[in-house]
Amino acid sequence: MNFEIPNFALALPEIFVLTMACAILLIDLFIPKHAKTLTYLLAQITLLGAAILTFQQYGHPGSVTTFNGMFVLNNLAIVLKLFIYLSAFASFLYARSYLPKTKIPYGEYFVLGLFSVLGMMVIVSAHNFIVLFLGLELFSLPIYAMVALRRDEGICVEAAIKYFVTGAIATGTLLYGLSMLYGATGSMDITRVSEVIMQSSLSDELILVFGLVFAVVGMVFKLGAVPFHMWVPDVYEGAPTPVVLFLGTTAKIAALGLLFRLLVDGLQPLSVQWQDLLIIVAVLSMALGNLAAIVQSNIKRMLAYSSIAHMGYMALGLVTATPQGYGAALFYMITYAIMTLGAFGVVAIMNNAGCEASKVSDLRGLNSRNPWLALMMLLVMFSMAGIPPIVGFMAKLSILEALIGVHLVWLAAIALFFAVIGAYYYIRVVKVMYFEEPEDATPIKYPVDMQIAISLSGVGLLVLGIVPGALFTLCQAVFGATPY
Amino acid sequence: MGLILQQTVFYAFSAILLFSAAMVVLSINPVRAVLFLVLAFFCACILWMLLQAEFLALVLIFVYIGAVMTLFLFVIMMLNLDIGPPRKGWLPYLPLAVLVLGLFIIAAVSALKPEYFDPDVYQVVTQPENYSNTKALGAVLYTEYVYPFELAAVLLLVAIISAICLAFRGKRPGGKAQRISEQLVVRRKDRVSLINMPSEKK
Amino acid sequence: MLQNYLPILIFIAIAIVISVVPLLAGLILGPRRPDVAKNSPYECGFEAFSDARMPFDVRFYLVAILFIIFDLETAFLFPWAVSLREIGSFGFYAMMVFLGILIVGFIYEWKRGALEWE
Repeated sequence: MNFEIPNFALALPEIFVLTMACAILLIDLFIPKHAKTLTYLLAQITLLGAAILTFQQYGHPGSVTTFNGMFVLNNLAIVLKLFIYLSAFASFLYARSYLPKTKIPYGEYFVLGLFSVLGMMVIVSAHNFIVLFLGLELFSLPIYAMVALRRDEGICVEAAIKYFVTGAIATGTLLYGLSMLYGATGSMDITRVSEVIMQSSLSDELILVFGLVFAVVGMVFKLGAVPFHMWVPDVYEGAPTPVVLFLGTTAKIAALGLLFRLLVDGLQPLSVQWQDLLIIVAVLSMALGNLAAIVQSNIKRMLAYSSIAHMGYMALGLVTATPQGYGAALFYMITYAIMTLGAFGVVAIMNNAGCEASKVSDLRGLNSRNPWLALMMLLVMFSMAGIPPIVGFMAKLSILEALIGVHLVWLAAIALFFAVIGAYYYIRVVKVMYFEEPEDATPIKYPVDMQIAISLSGVGLLVLGIVPGALFTLCQAVFGATPY
Repeated sequence: MGLILQQTVFYAFSAILLFSAAMVVLSINPVRAVLFLVLAFFCACILWMLLQAEFLALVLIFVYIGAVMTLFLFVIMMLNLDIGPPRKGWLPYLPLAVLVLGLFIIAAVSALKPEYFDPDVYQVVTQPENYSNTKALGAVLYTEYVYPFELAAVLLLVAIISAICLAFRGKRPGGKAQRISEQLVVRRKDRVSLINMPSEKK
Repeated sequence: MLQNYLPILIFIAIAIVISVVPLLAGLILGPRRPDVAKNSPYECGFEAFSDARMPFDVRFYLVAILFIIFDLETAFLFPWAVSLREIGSFGFYAMMVFLGILIVGFIYEWKRGALEWE
């Protein structure tokens, strides 16, 4: 039997997260009720440990595969994993004081979160259709449960059912597409699929495109972009705020990883076909997201539509099908994750302080209630609107640059047009915070860890906007692109 | 002779499969729909067997028919669905559904050309008499496919946690469960109390 | 390989015949004189007291889903047992890890009390 023992060292972070998640599940069962903070601390230590282990792997030139070619490790995987840990860490942090108020058990929440993180790590390191699919399942299943954890709240259960049903359809669609691709190429190994497609004749192309369409539909569902966005506003509105933080940041980074693995690594030879699909997705997302966000009075729904619009911009980076474009998309996604951490962080902090923060008008006069919080929200909103010198501007600029680089000027013009429209509702939030009188003028107090987290995301956006060089170069370098 | 028998079995069970799959959707009574689904799974199992996927065919019976369908039945009985008159209001959606289905069929037929099913290109695999499909599967599943195999275990673990989180309401007060450990540590003084009471006089 | 399954096919055919013939015989040969009283539902000779479709307790669902998970586990054990000689110690330990992960789940459900019926 010629079987090569896999190189477990490459998958060390995955093994570590799995072991720790199992251990935390058991430890949580046996510790008394008043000591549940230990569960939270262990979950955060797990993410830190995984980050250290992953960071040590950085620097391998090229890609290494193991587990019979099913697991791939390269700098792209490492960068994606590091930002997955970072956003999961922040969303866990906001969950710490939120969960006891809503009677969500610590143990299950953090363990499910860690398993979801494990699924995301599997996706961004997947090199085989089966692993990609299993990773996707492992990443989605815990999130469905996390959304439904407040099972006595009708709105949460409704959000969970919607998310589950649409998510299951998306997974089914993706699986159908992958099975077509497997049927046409005869392989499930991503590199091998790419090679076979390159050698294939034109007559095979139709079945490949047929499979591709289904696969793209499944992925766009996960990303939450138009026309498969219906679940996004309802889930953002209904799910507990820390879960929204998790699924609006960590899960989006993983979904981008899925796109990179499948479209860029596997189906690059079909790029002409998926470029067209993504152009439609991007334009519709930018249009619908920005226009629908204007009329929202609920802040979570507004941010949900804004996330749809941002996914549109991000998809534009992929449309270029160049390493520069991929780098720009990655940069956009990372900065978007930081912005979302800031925006929902403010919502979580206000929830935590016992204030209602469901309507945009609930932010009224935030400046007089807590100036620092208002300033952070201002930075986040300006960044989302793409106003210099905050990093959102750099992110949009790099996408536009990549588009112009491949002579898609008309797309860049559309993107710019909708960015201007989008700026309206972000600035409205700022106006509400600074120029309107609060209904309830009690100052907002919040714990130190949240203070640090929100300050880091706000100030981080500003710093990254002024000196974006390091992160930007990193994002370009993982695709082997030379920055301009 | 063998081939004719195989073809007869194939067409017979394919026909039953299509019929029962249609009935799953068309039955008004949900319990009947589930029973038709069981029949559909059974026919699919026979078709897999004809493809010589022996192990998967048997797993289909004992996992899907044995366990998953039981779960479906429980869920349907749990929901307390009343069998009312057929649902109304679906007619306006019918043209759209037919259109989408038509487009899908056109796309699928033009993509899946007959060449993909050409018996000259794709030979029917015939295995020797003592070939064990299960053994062949086992030889790769735990070695070359060990990574997805372990991921499957993690998925099952997540399923356990999620199911308990969402469906388990904790121990209810007033349960009549026997606790043997408590029964064993019981001493006389826990159960019997002697009350010193002066005798009553008339 | 398929020859091995021929007896099962014959069994299925015989089973279908045995189950269909009595039904048909009853349908064709039996006298049938229905009237309203005969066709109406009754419970122990009385009018039906309540609907026969009582909702099940949600706990049945939990038991069923936990059963499926361990049922799937046995599905994985089967090819492992058959091919244990070929896959060597690596295959052996692969299954031990698989079982270990599921045992964690088992301890969890036991300790949470999900297996208790009360």
